[in-house]
Amino acid sequence: MRVGIPRGLFYHYYYPLWKTFFQDLGAEVVTSASTNRRTVERGIESAVDEACFPIKVYYGHVRELCHQELDYIFIPRLVSVEPKSYICPKFMGLPDMIKSGLHELPAVIDITVDVSKTDRLLKRDIIRVGKIFTNNKNHIKQAYQHGQYELHKCRELCQGDYNISEAIRLWEGEQLDMPPNYDLNIGVLGHGYALYDHTISMNLIDRLRKMGCRVHVVETLDREAIEQKAAEIPKRVFWTLGRKNVGSALYMEERKEIDGIIYLACFGCGPDSMIGEVIECKLKAKPFMMITIDEHTGEAGMVTRLEAFCDMLRRRKAVSDEGYISAHG
Amino acid sequence: MVDCYLGVDIGSVSTNLVLIDNGCHLIEKIYLRTQGNPVKAVIEGFASLVESVSKEGITIKGVGTTGSGRYLSSVLLGADVIKNEITAHAVAAAHLYPDVKTIIEIGGQDSKIIMLRNGIVNDFAMNTVCAAGTGSFLDQQASRLNINIQDFGERAALSKQAVRIAGRCGVFAESDMIHKQQMGYPMEDIIMGLCEALVRNYLNNVGKGKKIEGPVVFQGGVAANAGLRRAFEKVLGMPIKVPQHYDVMGAIGAGILAMEKIQRSRINTQFRGGTFILEGDFKTSSHECQGCPNICEVVCIKRDREVLAYWGDRCKKWESSLNEKTSIGLQVV
Repeated sequence: MRVGIPRGLFYHYYYPLWKTFFQDLGAEVVTSASTNRRTVERGIESAVDEACFPIKVYYGHVRELCHQELDYIFIPRLVSVEPKSYICPKFMGLPDMIKSGLHELPAVIDITVDVSKTDRLLKRDIIRVGKIFTNNKNHIKQAYQHGQYELHKCRELCQGDYNISEAIRLWEGEQLDMPPNYDLNIGVLGHGYALYDHTISMNLIDRLRKMGCRVHVVETLDREAIEQKAAEIPKRVFWTLGRKNVGSALYMEERKEIDGIIYLACFGCGPDSMIGEVIECKLKAKPFMMITIDEHTGEAGMVTRLEAFCDMLRRRKAVSDEGYISAHG
Repeated sequence: MVDCYLGVDIGSVSTNLVLIDNGCHLIEKIYLRTQGNPVKAVIEGFASLVESVSKEGITIKGVGTTGSGRYLSSVLLGADVIKNEITAHAVAAAHLYPDVKTIIEIGGQDSKIIMLRNGIVNDFAMNTVCAAGTGSFLDQQASRLNINIQDFGERAALSKQAVRIAGRCGVFAESDMIHKQQMGYPMEDIIMGLCEALVRNYLNNVGKGKKIEGPVVFQGGVAANAGLRRAFEKVLGMPIKVPQHYDVMGAIGAGILAMEKIQRSRINTQFRGGTFILEGDFKTSSHECQGCPNICEVVCIKRDREVLAYWGDRCKKWESSLNEKTSIGLQVV
């Protein structure tokens, strides 16, 4: 049986788990190509206009898979991936949104991930999904455990300054080269499914690396430390990704080696409009820049901002190192 | 023969070229509308620049480019420095007013605020996705009201009592203006109201949470607008300085940066020379590369038959297909 997994949204966080699970159950896993112009065009054509850009792009990925003679397409319903925290409400309705917006879909495997209170429901749903492929419950449980093990293994790869999307590529056996030289350390935050997608983020991370920056992302930081810093906010942030971003920003502000922080926000994103502001208000000691992206493909605006930001950091550094600055640029 | 440096700023609306001498004094400036064709604008601008200084006899020792068309112009001219607008504007303003603390720059498509401490950029912000309150919006409103954009500021200055216009969004501002106009408010008051709305929007959106300290310098094409100058002074409660050459400050900054680089590193300029620029036939074309699913839009710039540059390809297959010498001008400095 062929199962399609769209290369969008939480693909960037959980693909190793999903792929291992379905493969262990004997399915062939097919993914869409990495986001390209056609994905974007198709997505914008079919998505509801209120959705954020990554969701629109996800429609494009699903449409690409529709033509690949699949038995199933996997569109998870992510409500909550950890206790008392939630994923943006749009993910809760994702399978329904896709089903109502796109026709000629293969059969949809939709699994509800909601562990906000208990993981009992999730366990039951895993078995339900597994039964599509086999009746052996132990086999299903083993496949899931194996998936979690692979996911963990993949996450470990982030320690070498790779973001999770790059870790997934490494996990799949690709070779990646990291530019060795850098003179700036920049923390880059945002929702991973926007930030780590080359097309959606207009290649933000690689651009920074080419400008001589070492990029630090949420996944390369110490988890515990992030949570501790996030707890300093008077009201607990109940969005999982938002909380990690706030915690990371506060943690990075304390780290001496980080020169500046960039937050990539999506124009239509509700949580971003809050979280971005919270971070901007809280960060006092480090330069911070928010970049907002949407459907536009004009890169000039982003390049200008990144260059100016790096310029500024370098000159500030020169001043604090020498006590004066002699020349511009 | 006078040694001088060429600074070029290609923006969405205007293309500016300046020549400065060793002491950063302006020798000549050209301000043109880009009119959607930056290649033509650069070549025309360069031609009229050369013509206007032909009697004095000058040698171009260095070239700096800035603005959103900085890579394109660097290919045509051969640039020594390619710099973003923020740094270029800051350098020019700090040269003119060494004690400047805040720069307000409003251009065609973007608006910026730059904070300087001891002459270097300490913080900056640019408008986000919305271009309301920038030059293009004013341009559009002027043409809707059938007023020459040059007279826009003067008309605003005649106003005694500005009407209240929503400044948050260009679309709302426009419908507010139409409403007020149909109610019979005088045109001057509506225009002044728009200026005040734009200033409010600028301070809330771009200058959000930033402490604006004087001296404040206001530059960019929109600084020509007396109404906006007045509105800024009113809202900030402090005098605003507008440099004499407010409209070409980015180009001056690029020129200064080129001069500094050439003088510091004692290298020869990459400048391609007048013959190259004026006697060639420059063409740009684009095609979709079908090499992979990214389907990049690759731009090609040619002079007669010779390909000068490619860009737009993510994998750099096209860009690196040219030899070292030609692609060197594209390096970000």
